[in-house]
Amino acid sequence: MKARLLAPVLGLLLGLAACSGGSSGSGTTTLTLWARDSEKTFIGTIVDAFNSSHKGMHVDVTIIPAGNPFVQKLGTATATGSGPDVVSIDLVYVPYFAKAGALKDITSQTDSLSYKSGFDSAHMRLANYNGKMYALPFTAESSVVYYNKTLFQRAGLDPAKPPANWADLQAAAAKVRGLGSDYYGYVWPGANGGASIFEIAPMVWASGGEVLGGTPQQSVPMFNSPAVTDMLTFMHGMAQAGLIPPSAATDTTSNSLTAFQSGKVGMVPAGAFYIPQLEGSKTFDYGVFPIPGKNGGYSSFAGGDEIAIGKNTKNASASWTFVQWATDMAAQQTMAKLGVMPVRLDLAPTIYEPLNPIYATFVQALQQGHTVDSTVENALINDNNGPWATMVHDAIFNGNIKAAQDAAQAKAQAIVAAG
Amino acid sequence: MEAARTRVGVRSRRRVLTWRRRRQLAGLLFVLPALACTTLFFLIPLGLDFWMSLNQWPLLGDHTFVGIQNYAQAIHDSGFLGSVGLTLLYTLVVTPALLFLAFVLALLVQGTDLASRFFRTLYFLPVPVGLATASYLFVWLVQPNVGPIIRGLELVRVLHQPPPVWLATTIPALAVVIGMVVWKVTGLQMILLMSGMQSIPGSLHEAATVDGAGWWRRFVHITLPLLRPTLALVLVFSIAGSLLAFDQFYIITAGGPSNSTLTSVYWIYRTSFVSFHLGYGAALSILMMLALGAVSALQLLLIRQSAELS
Repeated sequence: MKARLLAPVLGLLLGLAACSGGSSGSGTTTLTLWARDSEKTFIGTIVDAFNSSHKGMHVDVTIIPAGNPFVQKLGTATATGSGPDVVSIDLVYVPYFAKAGALKDITSQTDSLSYKSGFDSAHMRLANYNGKMYALPFTAESSVVYYNKTLFQRAGLDPAKPPANWADLQAAAAKVRGLGSDYYGYVWPGANGGASIFEIAPMVWASGGEVLGGTPQQSVPMFNSPAVTDMLTFMHGMAQAGLIPPSAATDTTSNSLTAFQSGKVGMVPAGAFYIPQLEGSKTFDYGVFPIPGKNGGYSSFAGGDEIAIGKNTKNASASWTFVQWATDMAAQQTMAKLGVMPVRLDLAPTIYEPLNPIYATFVQALQQGHTVDSTVENALINDNNGPWATMVHDAIFNGNIKAAQDAAQAKAQAIVAAG
Repeated sequence: MEAARTRVGVRSRRRVLTWRRRRQLAGLLFVLPALACTTLFFLIPLGLDFWMSLNQWPLLGDHTFVGIQNYAQAIHDSGFLGSVGLTLLYTLVVTPALLFLAFVLALLVQGTDLASRFFRTLYFLPVPVGLATASYLFVWLVQPNVGPIIRGLELVRVLHQPPPVWLATTIPALAVVIGMVVWKVTGLQMILLMSGMQSIPGSLHEAATVDGAGWWRRFVHITLPLLRPTLALVLVFSIAGSLLAFDQFYIITAGGPSNSTLTSVYWIYRTSFVSFHLGYGAALSILMMLALGAVSALQLLLIRQSAELS
């Protein structure tokens, strides 16, 4: 009789068995660091350097795909009370997360830093919310156009004189396209909002226009401004002329970089993060030039990452030790050797530029750089189904420029109003 | 003697009662894990979901009670309604396509010979492939420069240079998604229909043949009516699955081009985990659940009604 009850009771117990949580008790403080995938070329080295020089502390790094997956993961983890101890976060997301309370206030710690005045001002501005500091600059990044010098030469262009305005850019693209039916002049991920703001919005800025104005907490979208119309018309012209590969229209990741590496595309805009990748598989000679304006001039997206402490950390002081170390001389020097632009402008001429002649172009571009400072940046711009990405795709690949701009402006204003 | 018999009688009656109660207790304990799982993973989250739908609930930050405001907003949300329209269109195309193809294949592979068994397995092979894996597979099958489908069609001169980018225009992109789903799910429906057909007694078919009924008459008057429960099962799952379609759109079209292939679940996902408006997303989820329940109930009612009529 009793055996009859044993089976269901066992089943009940097994069914309700709680999963065991693992916890390691040891003398070392373990910190979790989240970084986006474009940092994978250097973040491992940095973390190893920290771990070997700081006995008693160990940092574990997790690489997360950039863009919306990163925002989602950080948002949902923080909301459920977990999340990383330290996070390296794309600087455009810092205003949102600072406002949402996902990052620890590090104002007093920042004030105690001796080198805080040497930091890049765009980074410092975005890390400041309501007068308090929520992150520190970690890596700098600027966008330029990479060009295949070998292809330029074959097409009859002078590799020492890259395009300096839009007309030159189109002419160069057309010449490279003329090399054959599987050669293209220019490529970028046409369905990726974050890539578009990084890589083609500077064409608007270089021509004196703006994409998003106002204040971080009250953004004023300018998607239907004439300067944006000019840029979209120009890019649409290039697409119509067949200078851009059709697959760019649906590219939401980085197939454009692979296409350039295959040696079949003349130009691709990208950041300094691309250099280690190119150097690793180089089969042609390449150079960089700043993103040009309509009639000359140049601009860039002043980007990069900031480093912050997650609100749910259980090791606030250990986390600060890492954050401070990462922004100081030793770490910034190591990163510069790995091709990362330093956020310490005082160090750029000594530890960065001498390492490679093309680094000077990145620093030059950064000085004319704009960034996007808004608490709704992700919803407006980086979201691949958001108004900016939809407008860019629709206008450039389908030619509905005015309709796309008006629709995007309306949606953007609704997003800003909803807050 | 009497007293002893009475005592035995009482003891045996008590033993009968206790034994029945023990069986009832055993039954309850057997059901308890499933009940606990359903409560923990369905009923409680459903309750929480309903509570969230009555609030303005951002992912990070405090929430405020707003009553039925989210529901009122949903009715005027042209984006959400558009996504519902697309989902209905998708369902209306996929459901008959799947059912028709599955029926044809089921009739073809019914036999017990080696060829039937071989093709039965072949048609079923795509089913255990994960939906996400199959979606990624199709993204690359139709890639303009390296995709085998495009290359193959170019080889037989159906397509020409430059290769088309199917995922860049709405109708072809939808066709790619539908193609993937039909490739993947037909095998499952085929097996279900086949087992339904095999459970129809052969004697019925024999009797009808003796009476002079041809294949078509036997199919319409014996097979179809007796397949009703199987058809009900297949249709309910097929329609429910199509109305809740998300993975394949997220991976193959990412809602594009220009947000023209956003299904309702994709819309809810974006509202909740991209825009971080959890309360509004919860309201949309509840509305979808009610709609799906109504559609399923309607299907079962119609199938039962037509059974009563015939």
